[in-house]
Amino acid sequence: MTNQVTQLPHAHDYLDRVIAELRALKAPQKDTLVGVLQYLSDHIRATRAEIGAIKGGAGGDQLFGSTADELEEIVTETARAANRIMDAAEAIEGVASKVDPASAAALTDAVTNIYEASSFQDITGQRITKVVRALQSMESKLQSLASAFGPVEGDAPALAEGDAALLNGPQLSGGATSQDDIDALFEAAVA
Amino acid sequence: MSLNKNMRVFIVDDYNTMLRILRNLLRQLEINQVEEATDGGTAFDAMMRNPPELIISDWNMAPMTGLELLRKVRAEPKLRHIPFIMVTAESKTENVIAAKQAGVSNYIVKPFNAETLRAKIASVTNVAA
Repeated sequence: MTNQVTQLPHAHDYLDRVIAELRALKAPQKDTLVGVLQYLSDHIRATRAEIGAIKGGAGGDQLFGSTADELEEIVTETARAANRIMDAAEAIEGVASKVDPASAAALTDAVTNIYEASSFQDITGQRITKVVRALQSMESKLQSLASAFGPVEGDAPALAEGDAALLNGPQLSGGATSQDDIDALFEAAVA
Repeated sequence: MSLNKNMRVFIVDDYNTMLRILRNLLRQLEINQVEEATDGGTAFDAMMRNPPELIISDWNMAPMTGLELLRKVRAEPKLRHIPFIMVTAESKTENVIAAKQAGVSNYIVKPFNAETLRAKIASVTNVAA
């Protein structure tokens, strides 16, 4: 192969040209070779299309960027929830010193259980962080693969339309509309 | 025999939630002299200024892990005698062996309960559990 056939898309075009030239030959032994080359060409085409769909479906540069953001938001939200649970537990513990000994002991036991259970946030946080790192590693490898396979026609994803386009799930804190903004929109509509 | 309620404890964990849990559980044991840090390096500097009587540390932290902190503590004459409990989700046998080889006093796997914490503290501070 010459220097100009250095990337897979060029190699694929070259392969298709070789197949076409072989088909034109009248040699009887060519059929097996043409069959094998055609099989390879079809496989390369299908793989390029699949990688193109992944790349396009994720919006190009960041294949799993938004997924990683969503997971990190879970860590933040669960930490916030765990801290609110502990705020409440500490308040209960404060009351325990003001009640009779039997009730105080029962309250303290319950609060201890809450503290113990609140460690779920630490465990889930570590697990999610591990998943985020795995996604980032996969993203980097897929980017290299997508780059090697080159652009493919039909890369653009089929965008959701109508009601389906409205289903985005919970918003990340930076991009969410606040309740105040929503209330303002309703007030403006009423006015 | 009960725990020494006046013991000064240093807790290290990169999750603030876990620091808060540990602080609350220690308070329930009536141990109120608790200092804390969210990474090994900050913890080591603070402990050099004011050595505690017990260290309770997570393993998986950055930039200095709990294992690195343990090795640093054991290499420092001023701190090497202090009991060191590793509280971590790293529960593979090789982790426990590595921590033992580095000189850990005891090892608690997350999630843990208050009684386990109390028993391990009693064990490393030579109080009958």
